[in-house]
Amino acid sequence: MLKRSLRKTHKKTISNEKSSSKDIKLKESDIPSNFEETIDTFKSIYSYPDNQDVVLRPIDISGINKKSTILFINTITDSKAIEDYVISPLLNNNDSSKKVEDIITIQSIKTKSKVGDIITKINQGNAALFVEGEDHAYLLGASNFESRAVEKAQNENVVKGPKEGFNEKATTNISLIRKRVKSENLVVESHIISKRSKNDLFLLYEKDLVSDKLLQNVKNRVNSLDVDAIQNLSLLEQYIEERKYSIFPTILYTERPDRAASFIEDGYIVLLMDNSPDALVLPATFWSFYHTSEEHYLRFPYGNFTRLLRILALFITLFTSSLYVAVVTYHSEMVPPDLLLAIAATREKLPFPAAVEVFIMEFAFELIREAGLRVPSPIGPTIGIVGALILGQAAVQANIVSPIVVIIVALGGLSSFAIGDISMNFTIRISRFLLLLSASFMGLYGITALFTMGIFYMVSIKSFGVPYLSPLTPSYASSGDKIFRKVLQKEILRPGYLKPKDLKKR
Amino acid sequence: MLIKEILGKFILVLFLLLFLSGCWDQKEVEELAFVIAIGIDKVEDKENKVRITYLISNPEAGSSAQSGGSQEPPREIISFVADDFISSRNMANSVIAKQITYDLLRMLIVSEDFARDENFIRWIYDATKSMEIERDIKLLVTKEESATFFQNNKPLLETRPHEYFEKILATGNEMGTIPESQLYQFFRITEADADLFLGIYGTTLKDENIQTSDDPQQITAGEFDFQGESNLTQFLGSAVFKEAMMIDSLTIEETRMAILLNPSLKPGFFLGTIPDPFDEKYRIAFRMENASPLKFDLKLTGGTPSIHVTVPLLLEVLSNHSMTGYQKDEEKRNKLEQSIEDNLNKEFNDFVKKTQEEYKSEPFGWSLLARKKFSTISDWENFDWMETYSDMKIDVDVQVKLGKFGRQSDLPRIEEIRD
Amino acid sequence: MEQSKQLIGIKEYIAIVLLMVGTKVTDNTPTILFEYIKNAGWMAPIINGLIAIFPIYLLIKVFTIYKGKSLLEVSDHLFGKFFSFIILFIMLVVAFGAVIVDTAIYTDIIGTMYFTKTPTIIVYGILMLVCAYGATRGFEQIGSVAWTVFPYLQVSLFFALILTIGQGNTAFIFPILGDGAWEVVKESSLRLSLYADFLYLFLFYPYIKSEIVFKKGTWLALVFIIMNLSIVMVCYIFLFDYKTIMQLNYPYHELIRTISLGFIINMEAFFLPFWLIATFVRFSIYLYINAILFGHLFKIKHFEYLIPSLATLIVFLGMIPENPTFIIFDIKEKLLLMTSPLFFLLPLLMWLVAMFKGEFKNANKRNIR
Repeated sequence: MLKRSLRKTHKKTISNEKSSSKDIKLKESDIPSNFEETIDTFKSIYSYPDNQDVVLRPIDISGINKKSTILFINTITDSKAIEDYVISPLLNNNDSSKKVEDIITIQSIKTKSKVGDIITKINQGNAALFVEGEDHAYLLGASNFESRAVEKAQNENVVKGPKEGFNEKATTNISLIRKRVKSENLVVESHIISKRSKNDLFLLYEKDLVSDKLLQNVKNRVNSLDVDAIQNLSLLEQYIEERKYSIFPTILYTERPDRAASFIEDGYIVLLMDNSPDALVLPATFWSFYHTSEEHYLRFPYGNFTRLLRILALFITLFTSSLYVAVVTYHSEMVPPDLLLAIAATREKLPFPAAVEVFIMEFAFELIREAGLRVPSPIGPTIGIVGALILGQAAVQANIVSPIVVIIVALGGLSSFAIGDISMNFTIRISRFLLLLSASFMGLYGITALFTMGIFYMVSIKSFGVPYLSPLTPSYASSGDKIFRKVLQKEILRPGYLKPKDLKKR
Repeated sequence: MLIKEILGKFILVLFLLLFLSGCWDQKEVEELAFVIAIGIDKVEDKENKVRITYLISNPEAGSSAQSGGSQEPPREIISFVADDFISSRNMANSVIAKQITYDLLRMLIVSEDFARDENFIRWIYDATKSMEIERDIKLLVTKEESATFFQNNKPLLETRPHEYFEKILATGNEMGTIPESQLYQFFRITEADADLFLGIYGTTLKDENIQTSDDPQQITAGEFDFQGESNLTQFLGSAVFKEAMMIDSLTIEETRMAILLNPSLKPGFFLGTIPDPFDEKYRIAFRMENASPLKFDLKLTGGTPSIHVTVPLLLEVLSNHSMTGYQKDEEKRNKLEQSIEDNLNKEFNDFVKKTQEEYKSEPFGWSLLARKKFSTISDWENFDWMETYSDMKIDVDVQVKLGKFGRQSDLPRIEEIRD
Repeated sequence: MEQSKQLIGIKEYIAIVLLMVGTKVTDNTPTILFEYIKNAGWMAPIINGLIAIFPIYLLIKVFTIYKGKSLLEVSDHLFGKFFSFIILFIMLVVAFGAVIVDTAIYTDIIGTMYFTKTPTIIVYGILMLVCAYGATRGFEQIGSVAWTVFPYLQVSLFFALILTIGQGNTAFIFPILGDGAWEVVKESSLRLSLYADFLYLFLFYPYIKSEIVFKKGTWLALVFIIMNLSIVMVCYIFLFDYKTIMQLNYPYHELIRTISLGFIINMEAFFLPFWLIATFVRFSIYLYINAILFGHLFKIKHFEYLIPSLATLIVFLGMIPENPTFIIFDIKEKLLLMTSPLFFLLPLLMWLVAMFKGEFKNANKRNIR
């Protein structure tokens, strides 16, 4: 049965492809030699004049006396620039010996003859100039997409260090990175990764650092995508990652250009795309999710203090609620007598078993968190306070939960915010629930069993061929930036697991 | 990936199994009755039974948590005849609503009567069988039946029973009025069969025919005379166990000496008094601590075995009722030092003599030092420490060093004030 | 996905060996040693370690001729197919028996010390489930996990020991020679198989990064293990004295129940998880060893697939004895005695055969091929 249904879907895809084959043929061909025919072809492609923002303006070029037509989409093109540097020079030309390229004063001019290529360029905001008697079109770079300005990074806040964040325009983002890496070795490669929407992907790397094998690996994976549209990097991440069902992220997502730049300088590859106020860094190890850029901006002791807090927060988030359940329901002899009696006293009149009680509170906490994210921002702050106050205080007074559980859940929940990376944050929070389940089944034994399995799983993950826990294990030459960082002067090695062409930083 | 699928299914089945079959060892804390102390008494005419007393703590007492804090009493006491103190749990549950647990068990209390019984060892070893009983709980001997002890013991300020016992025993240990008395030490010493074990000695009954004028340091449990509004319980001195049988009790002073002479214990600051060498009417109070580790000189082979112990003590004089001016007078200080030394020497040597003659073994843990002199276990066992001890030539030499004379070292001359 | 096979480095290798052998000190192995050697039991790891140098040295000598070949191939080459099959089969039986016995003991520890009411099959099942999962991940992953957790395990162990020394009495170690020097040497050398695991390490030869790593790692691990075992055993004596310790089934667990730190009276919650992790990793390695041997003997190429079935088999075999505390102890003692000659004689035999075949002289030629 399964086979049959598979076959069915297979047939369907084939028939779909047939219908578009005419289009494909057209796009492969060169533009017609006849000027009028050319204009008509493009008019039909762009559904002119139904399409409101497509502009077709015929121009008679004075001086050389040729007919021409300029075609562009005015919502994504800088009309002022076209008027000033294209239309008026063409109209005001007196010299009959000049070529078209020389009349136009706009910055970049390219010539293309394939219909498909021209369409792509127009869709990217360029203007196309068709001139009578020429078998190619002039493509004038005047794209002007709407975008916001460079603003502060929203999610990865720092107190010390640069505040700029990426925005939704890839060129801006590239410029932000170029601003930090002023090197001719920084390569910005562009790939079109989707078939229909023609989304552009930019690959940034330093060509004298990055390992060729890694680069080839990434390129292969990016180019082998067969999809209609990938709007942004968050979606792309899910297309190119290896383990789709794994709860561990394997690609780092950052909205800070300084962070992306420092990864590039270490020999990583950074992906940028339009419409994504962020960059993907690959390969990623567990440590890159655990670190933030601020720890390197802060002085050595302060940075490591932050790191210490974060690793503690990580373990507190993971284990407090499950340990509480395990100890209270399975290993009560391990609690100091005063504490045990205090717990027993508060639990005396509660209706639920400890595990259920903690689970309810954990669930409530997650709800408050999710609700706080989704509510319109003016109400946002109040939700948190109301949720915490009403739920916590009232639940305790109504003898639904014990005050100790409120402390435990709040502590765990609060600590979870210390893990800044959104993906790793989810990983930790989901694992917390799994641990809670295992704790309620088998106490400490259950927790440890699950934890051990988790570690076994973690070491077997690879991100683009790089083991997840490296350089801890398997060990590689590196600056040893794991749980704690070293003094900057001692961080002289690039991470060896990337197999960079130049291991030593100078 | 076939293997993954199989493994995945296996995990799923296991989880289902866990869901369906429940959790075996799970027990919620509020469903447990925490036994803080167990009392064991002899039952008249029945050799194979014991009377078990439970002291159960009420977690709600003294709790300021919102859901707790009711007017319930802090403890519950139940006493009944059972075969042993392991199976007795089930019997107690016919009266106690919550499941009895030994998770918080801190004390094992036996009556003196039972401790002196030769069958005592049979019951006490039950403690090694039960998983819940920790090895470091305390062993306590009471003069009266332990059931009576529990009922008479009504701490006024420390309402939670575990808190009371924890505090009073810790303070007693620090002051040197009672020994440490851990159960695993009891087992170890019993098994090693060389030394005496000192257990904590306590009572709630006051000895009626005791005179207040006696030396306050020479008392044991029940002999401390106090009035006022307080708990009747007193923990004083120690119960001496030889081969898992109680043979005698020690006074505060003897307990303190036993601790001071034990090389493996770390004594704190002990208070003591001796007659004032300048005025026999009064006694001088002092605080002593080990100035440096004890020095031992053991000669065990060839002739009569002999032990020479040097006890370096640092003393701080705390009271001076004869109002002697020690500060400027070195001679007086020397006399004081000499007198303290003589006094202590006599006390120590008398005590050692007493252990040799009466107990025929020692509570000082010296056998461990003697073990160093032997290279094999069979040599050591042939030497038979316990047998040899009573004939040994033992000599304790106290070396006193006077430290400070209190906060204010000088006192006014009494003659000058009263002229 | 192109996941190149990685060879494990020295850190991972040492961690594996230490977890394999060092964990023994936390089960009933010390009890067996103390029972026969009394308070000189702590010398047994040292004496045995010194004796074990001999067979390990011979093995390394033999293996340096065969670059990157495992025990399986070397044995096939030296003894011929038939005898090699017999020898490896005996090794498999011993290894499999050891896994069954040890897992049964660890299950018993968990069952009697911490989960008294839980049915054995659940405890056993979870233990083997985790180990099987770990073993199927592959050898490099086991190595990585071993190294990741090892420092924390070691720290927790030493923390326990420091507390023990604070609460114990160093005088318990005397009389220092126990039953007498000769007795100690005799009884300990009978239990040489304490280090029999080293023989199985040579199965991993091809997985190790280089020959030097293997050599260095093995010797370093041996030294570490000797120190670990004897220090821990000395600490047991410090806390319990020899008479008591001879009666304790699982001294490590009694130890972590006895020690306390300030107001925290019961510390076992701090130590139990670390011990459990060590246990999981340890049996993952054992399962993997069994799978390698089994796969080679019965010509199963993808031996990883055997692991789940082996684990299931172990659970059911380990469940058979009704009273593990006594029967399994008995079997373990016998196994210790029986394996000792195997561990000593097999390396000797290999070396002698290699000698007679003139392998050492041909070593250079072999390298070229």
